[in-house]
Amino acid sequence: MTLLAQRILGRRDAPRRGGPLASESRWAWAFLAPTIVGLVILSAGPIGATFAISLTNWDLLRPPQFVGLDNYLHLLEDARFQAALRNTVFYTVVSVPLGMLLSLGLALALNRSIRGIAWIRTMYFLPLVSSAIAVSLVWSWIYSPSDGLLNQTLAVFGVPAQRWISDPFWAMLAIVVMSVWQGLAASTIVFLAGLQAIPQSLYEAAAVDGAGRWALFRRITLPLLTPSIFFTGILSLIGSFQIFDQVFVLSNPGKPTGATITLVYYMYENGFRFFKMGLATAGSWVLFMIVAALTWIYFRSQRRWVYYQ
Amino acid sequence: MSSDAVALSAEGSRARSRVLLATLRRAGLYVVLIVGGLAMMIPFFWMLLTSLKTRAEVFGSPPLSLPSGAHFDNYSRMWNALPDVTFGDFFLNSLKIASLSTIGQLIACSLGAFAFSFLAFRGRGVLFGTLLATLIIPYQVVIVPNFILYRNLPHPASESGNWIGTQEPLWVGAFLGGAFGVFLIRQFFLTIPAELADAARVDGANPWQIFRFVYLPLSGPVLATVAIFTFMWSWNDLLTPLIYLRDLEQYTTTAGLAFFQGQFVGKWPEMMAGALVSLLPMIALFVIAQKYFVRGITLSGLKG
Repeated sequence: MTLLAQRILGRRDAPRRGGPLASESRWAWAFLAPTIVGLVILSAGPIGATFAISLTNWDLLRPPQFVGLDNYLHLLEDARFQAALRNTVFYTVVSVPLGMLLSLGLALALNRSIRGIAWIRTMYFLPLVSSAIAVSLVWSWIYSPSDGLLNQTLAVFGVPAQRWISDPFWAMLAIVVMSVWQGLAASTIVFLAGLQAIPQSLYEAAAVDGAGRWALFRRITLPLLTPSIFFTGILSLIGSFQIFDQVFVLSNPGKPTGATITLVYYMYENGFRFFKMGLATAGSWVLFMIVAALTWIYFRSQRRWVYYQ
Repeated sequence: MSSDAVALSAEGSRARSRVLLATLRRAGLYVVLIVGGLAMMIPFFWMLLTSLKTRAEVFGSPPLSLPSGAHFDNYSRMWNALPDVTFGDFFLNSLKIASLSTIGQLIACSLGAFAFSFLAFRGRGVLFGTLLATLIIPYQVVIVPNFILYRNLPHPASESGNWIGTQEPLWVGAFLGGAFGVFLIRQFFLTIPAELADAARVDGANPWQIFRFVYLPLSGPVLATVAIFTFMWSWNDLLTPLIYLRDLEQYTTTAGLAFFQGQFVGKWPEMMAGALVSLLPMIALFVIAQKYFVRGITLSGLKG
């Protein structure tokens, strides 16, 4: 299985082809020119710029003023930033494990060669290709307090109507449910590929030895699936810290309350509504540090639980 | 009946019941998978149902009841809701931006991937590592420096004189490559047998010719995968249009939907019609090219 993580970690470099021609590196730089410009001005380079701007007060109209760490001190005191941080962490902690568990179950169920499986899979995969905004619009209607699908359905069972997206208790959970529904297929597809890479002979050998279904899952499937679990885990983690569209649409559209504001929304609001570029980039830098630190810890942990064949 | 025959028929019925059990189990699996799949589709059914109802039906009738008729006027009201622009304009804008982004990514990423897989040069490992590291940077982290960059680029045709308020920031960057595309195409290039390129070299082909006439013609599937993902990300993007676009005439379908949400408070049929129409191209693309989607996700794990 050619998974990104394995490729990076396996450090399998490209085989050198052809002789080391003097002209070859000149060709290489020509081929790489767009990529290098992109790295410098659009992706890697601006990381440093983000930090530099975060040390200033800048409204884009007047020249930036250097203020040291003032923006970071402001973040510490800003209740809205704290809400954003809390909500983003809550969202990650609930949605990542929940999404991965459900995806794993779904992949196990879908991993058969039965007739019509392609059509069945399509039903599960459709939410994944839909835009977050269209999806969020439907869900805001599903969650609608007056005549939404959820409250109307619950009313049949005598459950009183809830204000799903304006109630601080339910709001973030409502977003989690919607996002898990939408992203389910991404991890499922990776797990399916992982399941199909497990040699059938292992199961047959274990079955001959009298292993039951649970033992087969626990001793063969799960260990051999850990690279896929590791891989989807890291991507879900990074992705979950980027949540924005769903928050933009649900819960007080365009102006989320403290119940649902997230880190990226905080950044967007300060940068592009209030034109406080220093504060926005300080928020981005915090986001970046959190993601970088979690990625690092996660990669360090893999030796303990990830099993490469 | 001899005891042999009894044993035989007992074995036969045991085999039959085993077959029956397997059939039942298979049927049960089908039922579970299909019911689960339909449950996953409920939001889409709900969207379709609502888009065909009158406003009175939406608020008066049980949730999953059928509309009294197909009220397609919701679609035309949604389409022509704004005085100067139609939803069709948003659609064309999205189509233009997503197509240009796709072309840009295909060109820049295949060029970069060729250098990383075929050409030897000093610093290749470090550069490739740096590029891959950018995969973990949430793109929102660099959005302020990018905004400032585009704000300082002169633009002859824009009111502001710079790139803010134009569609260019939404697609020009695609021509500068990206880690996902370079990585995916490079992995594919590495599987192309070296003999092919060696033969071309013996015939005096330079790297450009090898890229253009040996590698590219063999790379249809991976280019399709990169194209589909780029198109989807561009089509579904909301944050970038919100930041850069100023006039409604330039809006994409996603920005248009966000604007509608503010305009159509409580008008669910029109809004669901808009949401559904905005999804159609991606759903069609997915049904046609499912295998490339699955391949891309398997290789990268990236979400939509």
